[in-house]
Amino acid sequence: MHGQDVALKGVSMTYPNGFTAVHDTDLDIHAGEFFSILGPSGCGKTTILRMISGFIDPTRGRVAIGGQEMNGIGPNRRPTALIFQNLALFPLMTVWENVAFGLEARGVGKAARRKRADELLELVALTGQGDKKPTELSGGQRQRVAVARALAVEPAVLLLDEPLSALDLKLRQHMRAELKAIQCKTGVTFIYITHDQGEALTMSDRVAVMNLGRIEQVGPAADIYNAPATPFVATFVGEQNVLRGRVVGRENGYACLETPLGRLFGVDNRGLSDGTDAMIFVRPERMRIANGTGDPANRIEAEVERRDLEGPFVNLFVRAGSHSLALHLTNSGTAGQEFTGIQTVGFDHGDAVVMPTGELARE
Amino acid sequence: MSELVRTYGRGLTALFVGLIVAWIVGLILVPQIRMIERAFIYEDRGGETAMLALEIDRLYTEKFKLEQRLKAGEGSGGGSGLPSPSLTPSPTPAPSLTPSPGLTPSPGLTPSPGGAGGGLSAAERVGAEARIGELNAQIAELEAQEDTSSGEAGMKESYSLDNFTTMSAVHVEIFVMTLLYALCVTVLCFLICYPVAYAAATMQSEEKLTLLMVGLVIPYAINELLRIFSWVMILEKQGILNWLFDALGIISMDAGEGFRFVASNGAVFTVMIYAYVLFMVFPIYNTIDTLDKNQIEAARDLGASVWKIHTRVVIPHAKPGIAVGSIMTFMLSAGSIAAPEIVGRGLHPDWFSQLIYRRFFEADSWNQGSAYSVALLVACVAFILVNMAIFKVGIRDIAK
Ligand SMILES: Nc1ncnc2c1ncn2[C@@H]1O[C@H](COP(=O)(O)OP(=O)(O)OP(=O)(O)O)[C@@H](O)[C@H]1O
Ligand SMILES: [Mg+2]
Repeated sequence: MHGQDVALKGVSMTYPNGFTAVHDTDLDIHAGEFFSILGPSGCGKTTILRMISGFIDPTRGRVAIGGQEMNGIGPNRRPTALIFQNLALFPLMTVWENVAFGLEARGVGKAARRKRADELLELVALTGQGDKKPTELSGGQRQRVAVARALAVEPAVLLLDEPLSALDLKLRQHMRAELKAIQCKTGVTFIYITHDQGEALTMSDRVAVMNLGRIEQVGPAADIYNAPATPFVATFVGEQNVLRGRVVGRENGYACLETPLGRLFGVDNRGLSDGTDAMIFVRPERMRIANGTGDPANRIEAEVERRDLEGPFVNLFVRAGSHSLALHLTNSGTAGQEFTGIQTVGFDHGDAVVMPTGELARE
Repeated sequence: MSELVRTYGRGLTALFVGLIVAWIVGLILVPQIRMIERAFIYEDRGGETAMLALEIDRLYTEKFKLEQRLKAGEGSGGGSGLPSPSLTPSPTPAPSLTPSPGLTPSPGLTPSPGGAGGGLSAAERVGAEARIGELNAQIAELEAQEDTSSGEAGMKESYSLDNFTTMSAVHVEIFVMTLLYALCVTVLCFLICYPVAYAAATMQSEEKLTLLMVGLVIPYAINELLRIFSWVMILEKQGILNWLFDALGIISMDAGEGFRFVASNGAVFTVMIYAYVLFMVFPIYNTIDTLDKNQIEAARDLGASVWKIHTRVVIPHAKPGIAVGSIMTFMLSAGSIAAPEIVGRGLHPDWFSQLIYRRFFEADSWNQGSAYSVALLVACVAFILVNMAIFKVGIRDIAK
């Protein structure tokens, strides 16, 4: 099995009712990559997946797989296999018949089918479960049957539509690791859809973040998290403290923002001109409490409102004026009990990101 | 049961249960048992006993007539003098009832034809009474000979399979052909209904679905006879179809040309299919509707052809619906009487149900009619069982 690359060029999808679910999207997914598409519900993730798998054709633009033009080619003739959100296993067939269905459709003989099904079941750690019915398996096992069934047709691209969303947290974490392992073993391109950012960040080589039918950013998980390209990405992935303000100048390459809590500096990758309405984003774990040594460059006086102990971390919520800020501090043995009353909190210039005002992800 | 009591209270539950029991016993069990019993009772219509019964009947009739005349005589001639203008005067108006020795009754006195009224002479009266006595004696004698164990009609009745085994070759052929025809109708119905049901169940747009459903249901709001007659209108020699062919220039109706569609197998099949499609469409539609459409897409995505998708995914899922639909269609068409009667016009070979009808109401042989009905019932039950075996569905699946 070898992965193939997938390319979307200027792809738009307008449904018959006139609703445009995907707007003029370009996307390049490399061969053999674990690629995630992350976005809130209804942003068009499934629509993109269905265009790649061939269930719908884009109203505009082109889809290519392995350099081959795919428009007009049905799902049964594309080198893709789709794993449905509800798995869509065939309940009346046994597990091995499910796995071998793709081979049956290709006219492979029964003995060969059985053999191949057993191999695949071994790959997904379900050896010996072939003669059961899908309903007799646990959620995680069913999940793996769906993977085996999809892999049986030796797809170059495996499309997964929120395959873990029905599982409980423990199992989900376990299955993430298994899926990743299977991807490494087979070398197939995985396109993985999820609205769970943890899932996207841990498993993926690269992530695309979508909102309202547009892809806002594509990049490695670290970039998505550390250098978000839009306010939406910044707030959708992970937590953020957000302050609005106006650009009033720059210093050492950092933009200076006039905010209700004073002048704050942050990284500005676009060179915003003075007077621009902008936002500054700081992750809670980048926030610090000034303790006299190595104080943060940006400082804010704030009153501690609440302190939540989360074992290794302490979540501190402070109020400055009408703004509420969050800090994730490491638990250095005192569970943050020393932080009470008015404190000076802050962050370094390099830990904040300044971007023009835009739409934020809803909490 | 206890749940019912809890929900509806004791009184209502008792009422429900009572009604259900009354329904099952009164409307299902008793008639069926009676029917089956009759089916196994053979009436010997040509044998000795039958002759005897006929003779007894004849004697009873004669006695009855005489008695009637006597009664009539009392009412007018020997009566209390009430005016009865319609009666012709009797030859001897004397009220005397003493027998006159000169007029001995002839022993072979038969009722005088017409009776010429109710009045009887005293002599005649005596003669009639004597004759009645004679008849009583004869009847008693014959009745003593008659097998008292036999049934009401005086025909020799006995439990036997004769009602079945004496089915003539023609009737057996009709029986077998009817089952075959019903099977054909069922298969044709399935072939027509499956795609329709599939299309309806997988339809995306709600409006199209509504239209389809309305289109299927409205014809069924019309009386069955009307539905069948509308087909006669279409298929008749002077009917719409021929008229259409005429309009298309294929035939010339003026010249007396035209196809006789009615009274052919094809016509009977067409009408029956039309009459019963709904019973096939809905069960299948309902089961396909419960199929997770992702399964169809998954099969397609895995490279399955349309044929494979249906044989491996859709039909296995729809089996209970297909079984129910087939059973209903088969039973209805095997037992159908209106369609073959009206469309077949007696030119088409008889349907077995028509035969049963004739046994009952034309041959007046209820027991044989019952036997034929039971035969049909058994065939249908056998069909159900075979059907369930083929589709590997249990009563439980069907109930769903
Ligand atoms: N067949 C359709 N006709 C019209 N609109 C549709 C159709 N399918 C989806 N949409 C709309 O397109 C938008 C995107 O749908 P899509 O299924 O791609 O969302 P999604 O990102 O997969 O969401 P989720 O995470 O909830 O699955 C939604 O607003 C949806 O209402
Ligand atoms: Mg979706």
